[in-house]
Order: sequence, then C-alpha cells, then structure tokens
Amino acid sequence: MDDNSTPSGDRKLSCSDVSKCFQLLESILDGENLPNSKEMLNEKLAKCEPCFKHFHLEQAIRDVLKTKCTKQAVPSELEASIREIIQDRK
Amino acid sequence: MSEVQRKKYSEQEKSKIFDQEFMPNIDSMYNFAYRLTFDEDDAKDLVQDTYLKAFRFINSFEQGTNAKAWLFRILKNSFINDYRKKSKQPAKIDYQEVETYYNSDDVDYTSTTDLRVDAVKDMLGDEISNALNSLAVDFRTVIILCDLEGFTYEEMAKILDIPIGTVRSRLHRARNLLKDKLRSYASTMGYGNDEEEGS
Repeated sequence: MDDNSTPSGDRKLSCSDVSKCFQLLESILDGENLPNSKEMLNEKLAKCEPCFKHFHLEQAIRDVLKTKCTKQAVPSELEASIREIIQDRK
Repeated sequence: MSEVQRKKYSEQEKSKIFDQEFMPNIDSMYNFAYRLTFDEDDAKDLVQDTYLKAFRFINSFEQGTNAKAWLFRILKNSFINDYRKKSKQPAKIDYQEVETYYNSDDVDYTSTTDLRVDAVKDMLGDEISNALNSLAVDFRTVIILCDLEGFTYEEMAKILDIPIGTVRSRLHRARNLLKDKLRSYASTMGYGNDEEEGS
C-alpha cells in the first residue's frame, strides 16, 4: 500500500471518535478476528485521514519489529544439557 | 502451576510431547529469555529452568492446547519469581500495580505522533532492537509476545495473568513509548522535520 499519498480531498481531516477508531484499527492489525472488520477498515481508511495515517504508521512499526529485530542464536549445548538433567533425574 | 494432576502420561507419551511440542519452541523461548534478561547465561538458566519445570509438570499440560503459550507462561513466571528476586537490579515499580491503580482501560488515544512511516521503514535492526530493549520490562514483554511471537490477546492474557482489556491498553501504551524512542532516532536521521532531504 502506498503511504506517500497526500491527504485525499475525500477524507475528513479530523476523526470524530479517535479512541474507538484507533483501538479498532490496532485490534485489526494485531490479528484479532472482529465481525465485519474488513468492511469497517476499508471505510475508515477511505474516509478518515487520521485513521489512515494511524493505521499505516502502526502497520509499519509492526512490520519492522517483525522483520528487523535482531535474533540471538540458541547456544548449541543448551538442548543437550536440558535433556541430560532430565535423564539424570529420572 | 496446578498441583492437580488430572491424568498421567506414560513415559513414552511424555517423551513424545517433550520432543514434538516443547523442544521445537526453544528458539523462541531463548530469545524471549534473552530479551528479558539481556544476558546469555541468565537466558540459558531461565530456559533450562523452564524446560525442567515443564517436564516436571507435564501432566498438567493438556495435549492439543498451545504448548508455546504454556511454556511462555512458565518462563514469564520463573523470570518474575526467581530471576528478578535474585538479580541485583534495584527494585523497580511493578507497572501492573500502577496500572490497576489507574483505570486500566482509560487509554489516551488522542496523542498524535509526527513520526513518519518512511522514517520507520528506514530504521536499522539495531535501532529497532535498542528502542524495544529500552522499554520497561512489562511494556517490552507485550510487544515481544504480540509482534515478535504472534500471540493473540487471549493467549497473552493467559501468559501474563491479566485481563484482555489490560493487554490491549498496555500494548497501546507500549507502542506509544516505542514511537517516542523511534522518533528520537528518526530526528538524528534527518527525519525530524518536514523539510525533505535532497533525495
């Protein structure tokens, strides 16, 4: 989705219920299954500039967290040492 | 963990559960432990301790339920009960206490941020990781569980022993704090104002 679009003339520039809308957008982004979420999302993004902006920023943050956070390799001996202790205790 | 052991798995069944359901999660477990402790040895101890507890209490694990969530819950409890107590870190205020004092669902959604989407997308892995690691542990934890490990609100509520409404509000606050951190990185990258860079 293109985030660089300028504010569309069709979108209202202020949101009448930011709390409810943003909470809904965040739940959708977090993968919660809400009834009619797709329709509600499309409507908000098409009609409301603050919702549009909030959604894309939140989405970008989730994406970079998911894809860019550095991962630690599991120490090679860890699994073996866990198994060894369990065996010893049997 | 429940002391009531509803059924006994045979030794063979225990091994099978341990090998097929518990062990495949060791990578996620170790990374969770490392992000809680920031120390390789502590993370190793925490994961080892979690797996030993998991094996000891394997009869209270219901086959067919989410093993990863079950293991994460044990690890989180071990971290709070064992690691935090013996660590020499100065006692911090437990965010949960503060949170229940205030109305936990009363989240301010109105605060807007001037953080730009393209600035976020250009962030380096180290910057993202450092921003996440700088958050207080309770905020860091919800972001790890949700965004890095993909748990649902319901699973997170069980792992953390808090209501779903609190999961939602804590996540929202955590992300706002993260945005603050990212914004300060963004300003050092030249995204601080609306003037376009030469590109």
